[in-house]
Amino acid sequence: MGIIHTSRIKSPWIMHFDNSSCNGCDIEVLACLTPLYDIERFGIVNMGNPKHADVLVVTGAVNRRTARVLKNLYDQIPDPKMVVAVGTCACSGGVFHNCYNILGGVDKVIPVDVYVPGCAARPEAIIDGVVLALQKLAKLQGVAI
Amino acid sequence: MQLDWMMAVAILLPLISGILVYIIRQYHIRGLIVVLTAIALIINSILFVKQGLPIEYTPEGYNWGLVITVLDYVILLFYIYAGLSLRNWLVLIFALTQIIPLAYWEFGMGAHAEVEPAFFIDHLAVVMTLIISIIGSLICVYAIRYMYDHEHHLHLENSRQSRFLFWLVMFLGAMNGLVFANNIYWLYFFWEVTTLCCFELIAHDLTTEAINNAARALWMNSLGGTAFVLAIIYLYMNHGGAEALSMQNIISGGLGQAVALLPIALLCFTGFTKAAQMPFQSWLLGAMVAPTPVSALLHSSTMVKAGVYLVVRLAPAFAGSYLSIMVALAGAFTFFGASALAISQTNAKRVLAYSTIANLGLIIACAGINTPLSIAAAILLIIFHAISKGLLFMCAGTIDHIIWSRDIEDMEGLAEKAPVVTFITAVGILSMFMPPFGMLLGKWMALEAVYIVPLAAILFVLASAVTIVFWAKWLGRLLQVLPRLGKKWEKLSLSYSVPLWVLVIGIFVVGIGVAPIYQKFVHFAVTNVIAAEEVFAQGWNIVIPGSAAASAAQAVGAYPVWPLFLVLAAALFVPFICLALKPGELRPVYMCGEQVGGTDADEWITAGEQKAKLQLGGYYFQSVLGEAALNPWVNTIAIALLVILFGVSLGRWS
Amino acid sequence: MNQWLLAIIAVVVAPFIGGILAGIDRKISARLQGRWGPPIVQPFYDFFKLLGKSKIAVSRVQLVWLYGYLFFMITSLVLLVLQQDILLLVFMLGFAGICFVLAGFSCKSPYSHFGANRELLQMLSYEPVLLLMALAIYAQNGSFMISEIFKNNTPLIVPLWPIFIALIYVLTIKLRKSPFDISTSHHAHQELVKGIMTEFSGPYYALVLLTEWYEIVLLLGLVSLFWANPLWVGIIIALAAFVLEMFIDNIAARMTAGWMVKVSWAVGLILGVLNLAYLYLKKGVL
Ligand code: SF4
Repeated sequence: MGIIHTSRIKSPWIMHFDNSSCNGCDIEVLACLTPLYDIERFGIVNMGNPKHADVLVVTGAVNRRTARVLKNLYDQIPDPKMVVAVGTCACSGGVFHNCYNILGGVDKVIPVDVYVPGCAARPEAIIDGVVLALQKLAKLQGVAI
Repeated sequence: MQLDWMMAVAILLPLISGILVYIIRQYHIRGLIVVLTAIALIINSILFVKQGLPIEYTPEGYNWGLVITVLDYVILLFYIYAGLSLRNWLVLIFALTQIIPLAYWEFGMGAHAEVEPAFFIDHLAVVMTLIISIIGSLICVYAIRYMYDHEHHLHLENSRQSRFLFWLVMFLGAMNGLVFANNIYWLYFFWEVTTLCCFELIAHDLTTEAINNAARALWMNSLGGTAFVLAIIYLYMNHGGAEALSMQNIISGGLGQAVALLPIALLCFTGFTKAAQMPFQSWLLGAMVAPTPVSALLHSSTMVKAGVYLVVRLAPAFAGSYLSIMVALAGAFTFFGASALAISQTNAKRVLAYSTIANLGLIIACAGINTPLSIAAAILLIIFHAISKGLLFMCAGTIDHIIWSRDIEDMEGLAEKAPVVTFITAVGILSMFMPPFGMLLGKWMALEAVYIVPLAAILFVLASAVTIVFWAKWLGRLLQVLPRLGKKWEKLSLSYSVPLWVLVIGIFVVGIGVAPIYQKFVHFAVTNVIAAEEVFAQGWNIVIPGSAAASAAQAVGAYPVWPLFLVLAAALFVPFICLALKPGELRPVYMCGEQVGGTDADEWITAGEQKAKLQLGGYYFQSVLGEAALNPWVNTIAIALLVILFGVSLGRWS
Repeated sequence: MNQWLLAIIAVVVAPFIGGILAGIDRKISARLQGRWGPPIVQPFYDFFKLLGKSKIAVSRVQLVWLYGYLFFMITSLVLLVLQQDILLLVFMLGFAGICFVLAGFSCKSPYSHFGANRELLQMLSYEPVLLLMALAIYAQNGSFMISEIFKNNTPLIVPLWPIFIALIYVLTIKLRKSPFDISTSHHAHQELVKGIMTEFSGPYYALVLLTEWYEIVLLLGLVSLFWANPLWVGIIIALAAFVLEMFIDNIAARMTAGWMVKVSWAVGLILGVLNLAYLYLKKGVL
């Protein structure tokens, strides 16, 4: 299944989900799509639909309302799938971690493969995070990237 | 001798069993009589195929001409009575416009309407009688149980099923007489009998709406009948008396002189009214109030098919004239208008009705195009349409008795309740517009033939694009939810399931075997109408050669029947073989992650933390394509087309 | 036998051409937007990745329709390669489209329903133009057979240029490019999530991609028929048309479905009818 394994690395489609971020990280995720960073070079496409996604990019801390949604979306992504938590909020809850409605980082609800810290995470870091996720996938499959 | 019996079975047996059914008011015996009649009719119609056609037949013994004349006046007097008792002046007026000229002609002028032969049975007539006897009989069988359930649902005190079956069964006899008749005066009589049966059946439920709609059907068809009477009188007076009343003489120039276009136009007009062509579509739509077997019968094998039969039969009489072009245009316009109107309908039966009107328009347009190819298309369309529409109406009726609704939007979860009926309905819908089934073949032939009438060509193109929209919409709604694996099939009464399954099988058999069936049989029906030698079928495929002697290599068009069925079969079966789905692989649909529940979640949580149920609906474009918006336009144009049609037929221009 | 070999070769080769064309599409779009863009073979990576994903679906009947979409598209392509009846080809193409619509309808998803309804409107927009094209070709050649087109030495584009323009117009609808990416869209564009495609995932989405590649080849094949002698001119015209579509895609904004139906009926009908009328006058049928 060599070609399929290679293709998985070459064509990660991402889905971006915003829990309760301050929108700082969201802007940075979108910045990755711009001509300056152009993540489509790596075959990365922002899909906006879990059914087509391979990598779930989550920003913001999980609150009581979004926990269920996040879980649902994660379940709807077909395997194999990776999760990248972008921003300090998504990693641990960040500045919001003591709020009345906040559960904490994304890993409270779904398993996370790569943590990208930063407030906000820089586009380079985000791209790096997705590439790290792909490397992890490659290692799991036993193929070279 | 054998022929006497066959004719008696075809025309008189339905009448006799109708009377028996009327007298015997016992559910099982009544059902048995209907089933036996159905079997007799079916066998009888197949026997006709085996005869050396054409058959010329004139009944001996009694003075049948007198019997028919007397009955004719009885029917017309009944119309007058109906007009008076319903206080419907249109019914009264058009009954009078029939009876007065007819009486003047027969008694005032002392006309003799004896024609040798009285019946002329060629391949076209046999094609029609096969449709009537097989599909019509199946519908009668279906009606046995349907009417029982129908009355059960309405909680009627006095059963009126006997009366219903009487008219239903008799209808078949009248239709057989109609297609066999060569004497157009007799044809007129059978024509009136079908109008009468139709009136009685629509009015069956005796609600105000039913009676009003029945009256509308009656006056519109009486208007057609009036045109028929005028045509008979015109032919009799101007073309040499009784000889001119022979259908064969009219169409094959047996009168020694060309027949004037006016009576032909009048007869076509009669056909238009019966085939519910625009602007007369409202009676067929109104007929929807009747119990579903009536609709099934009216739409598939009887009534409207009589209208198109007459026009197709008359095709050679107006070949090459402007009348022919106008007939093509009027038909094509109805094809387009009715298809567009069908998009806006939510009621399944009304969608079916508009689609019938549209397809009849297509058939009439084919008759108007008047080439061997188009006549072949017309006859094939008559056959395929009868099978598919009969099936679809019976399905609509069965669905009606399962969910007690005819609304397409209500059929969403039908597959859960009734997987079998859903499957059959889906096959029926597919057969109406998808390759490789017959209707599409007919449409394809029609489009290949339409070139010579440019305006009709454009209408055809638009209409066939519009047609797919409403079918796809309905089919999508029907198959939206499928039952889980391992779900039990619903049990249907035999009286429902036998007709349904027979027609499903019929769709496939006729669809796959269309080329040989065409070559061995339908081909002759085409040559009955239009005397030209052309080969269309080669082996299992339909090929349209450029000239009579051309081979497949020089064909103008080709339609591979078998390969297309193989493609369909592949599409159906490959999913089960590779990439098949296991139950665990089903996931809920995407609702922004807000869905609640498992695989078939149809609820979601709103911003206010409330559960809301998902509701989906189709597009209906009421404001653009609704009846209120479109009817004034289409009716005006249709009336204008009819006026031009009569205009061009006043002189014999060509 | 030769014919069948040709058909098999076409069925095998077409996805490669279609995939490369889709890759070129993405590359050119990226360049027009000032980006570097993915490699040309990116669509194949996508395809194989999707094939390797776990199979999940929302409904069983969906699969039947998706296979119907694929198979009837292949049928139309085979009809084109075997130079069969063009009217039948248009019908098959239409039926493939219906299968796709029904696949969209066959689940209780609001997004795919929206997409399917809009796809129906797209079909309503392009179907008459394709049928008019078939009729016009008949009017010119006296035959619906594509083989006759190749026997004709005058390129079809000369008498049929209005229909050709209409065809280029509906090509935008058929390829779902802006301003007509109404039922669904490509690349990273989103329209009501992903419109009719929303519920196709994994290998089933790969099927849809495969069918779209066939579709591109088929449509460009139809375009190239307008200069069938010699065929390479036709192919160049078809490729030029394809590049033109990409430019249109990148400079146009998405329009509404109602506007699409109105304008394409107006454009298609006016051009088609004028063209037919001209052909009729020339042949003296009118
Ligand atoms: S990490 Fe910083 S920028 Fe990102 S969502 Fe949290 S607060 Fe906003």
